[in-house]
Amino acid sequence: MEKRLIKKDALTGIAKKMAGDFLVWAPVKKEDNVLFEPLEKDAEPFFSYLNSKNAPKNVFFPHTETMMKYTRTEKGMVFSSEENKTAPSVLFGVRPCDAHSFALLDKLFNQEKYKDGYYIAKRENTTVISIACVKPPYASCFCTSVDGEPVSADGADILLTDIGSDYLAEFMTPKGEKLVKYFGDTKADAAAETKKNEIAAKAKEAIKSKIPAHEIKPILDKNFDNPFWNTIYGKCLACGTCTYLCPTCHCFDISDEVKGSDGVRVRSWDSCMFPMFTRETSGHNPRSSQKERWRQRTMHKFKYYVDMFNSIACVGCGRCVMSCPVNIDIRKIVEDISKL
Amino acid sequence: MTNKNPYIPMPVKISRIIDEVDTHDIKTFRFEFLNKEDEAGFKYLPGQFGELSIYGKGESPIGIASSPTQKGYVEFTVQRAGAVVPGMVTSALHEMEEGALMGIRGPLGKSWPLEYLEGKNIVIVGGGFAFTTLRSLINYMIYGKNRERFGSITIIYGARNPGLLLYKDELIEWGKRTDLNLNVTVDKADAAWKGREGFVPAVCKEVAPGKENAVAVICGPPVMIRFTLPVFFDLGFSKANIITSLEMRMKCGIGKCGRCNVGSKYVCTDGPVFSLAELDNLTQEY
Repeated sequence: MEKRLIKKDALTGIAKKMAGDFLVWAPVKKEDNVLFEPLEKDAEPFFSYLNSKNAPKNVFFPHTETMMKYTRTEKGMVFSSEENKTAPSVLFGVRPCDAHSFALLDKLFNQEKYKDGYYIAKRENTTVISIACVKPPYASCFCTSVDGEPVSADGADILLTDIGSDYLAEFMTPKGEKLVKYFGDTKADAAAETKKNEIAAKAKEAIKSKIPAHEIKPILDKNFDNPFWNTIYGKCLACGTCTYLCPTCHCFDISDEVKGSDGVRVRSWDSCMFPMFTRETSGHNPRSSQKERWRQRTMHKFKYYVDMFNSIACVGCGRCVMSCPVNIDIRKIVEDISKL
Repeated sequence: MTNKNPYIPMPVKISRIIDEVDTHDIKTFRFEFLNKEDEAGFKYLPGQFGELSIYGKGESPIGIASSPTQKGYVEFTVQRAGAVVPGMVTSALHEMEEGALMGIRGPLGKSWPLEYLEGKNIVIVGGGFAFTTLRSLINYMIYGKNRERFGSITIIYGARNPGLLLYKDELIEWGKRTDLNLNVTVDKADAAWKGREGFVPAVCKEVAPGKENAVAVICGPPVMIRFTLPVFFDLGFSKANIITSLEMRMKCGIGKCGRCNVGSKYVCTDGPVFSLAELDNLTQEY
């Protein structure tokens, strides 16, 4: 594996240089938020951020995405797929928890039988560069409880770790190694690696928020009808913020939009928190109240995804905890379930 | 599918529309594929479904009503849905005429377990509009030499009144066969009706199919299912030998969009066909 050392102040320059050659998604300041956006010419990436407001899943799974286009002609409907229309890209500077989410989403979108070409094309065409969390950004971070670590390359092609005066750049995959030329010629020595391991151990130690995420699986297997589910949803506004910001939430809607003779079929993020999500044309809704919807969200992350893919569909980023307008805390829910 | 992208529909032409019932809200649509390779690629078995796709409106998941033994076309029987807010796709479909072009995605989901059914006595119980994929199964089983692969076939099919029975011509043809035990019933007869009158569960009790080496395949409205299952339990059918098909709101049909799950199973990819024994093992969500 290639390893390089780069000066800390060189990072911005590397991102800008790449932006001349590829589409580079990087953290940028937008009003009060930090978001991953395509880095425009002369724009400054904001690498001293804690984490982005939204999960960067939109790079592979856009909020709204055209699946196909069609035109009504005299000879009938002419249509074309919008699959595979992607440019070589770099996602520069995601946190390890978010990179972990890509590995989780791969399991669903790149299943053996049905492959989701829209997601896969972007994922394959994008090099993911993670910046390790040498200090946990928030008190609400709990990645170590859900198979993550603050210094981890899971889901990433290149991992950057701040080891004091330099970044240690580790090129984890062949895709990552293709970009090695942007990172200078200073090879990393064994001392740098030792330093990184020390930092990684400390960072892991510093994650104080812990939840029994694995322990609740056998409890969830048996407690679908537990009265506990009556206790968590009361204050939920069904706003969908939690699913919107979540790195692993992937449910979507498909709809048609038409103007004149031209139309598009688009998919857009949907949310299990919304009443319409499962409502059928007849008016029947199998998940008729917010109770069933909360149970679905909790079960999907900590039981169903484990049944299907042997992975918990939560990366411990804490976005849902920080942004819920009524302070529903998934950590508390998991904790309470563990005591059932 | 010839098109490797499972989200892109195959173009089809409506070659025939059959107005099935006297309320005119259930029609059978016969589709022919515009591309021969799509037709060859659309390899389905009874019990599977497809997404009917109308540009500008959207898609609806509908069970396939024809049998793969019927070559050159595929049929779907569709009810115009939504009493209060009309279903976008099914309303648009019901407005369409023969010759119109649209799209189909599929075949999707799992079929009736044909290998399991082979060599067994088959009891088919259908109620109302939910008879469509059962019709596919019946036509498959009675086609030519296929008939030899199955034991006795008993059919119990009911509708609220004679005008609401689907596939009226086929029912007459099936009635003439000696290798089928066909029992058609209506909840409420009219003056012209000469057949059986009575609810499906009661008719099941009367016909009393034997449990030996038998499998019951049951589709119908919830109220019918609720009263029919105890009859089969009383007859001694095990839960593994009672098979049904589920419906849920769907979008993608390929296990991605996340809305049709019952517990850890997606109705679109793990179903829609399940045995009662399998349903017992699922989360008791509904």
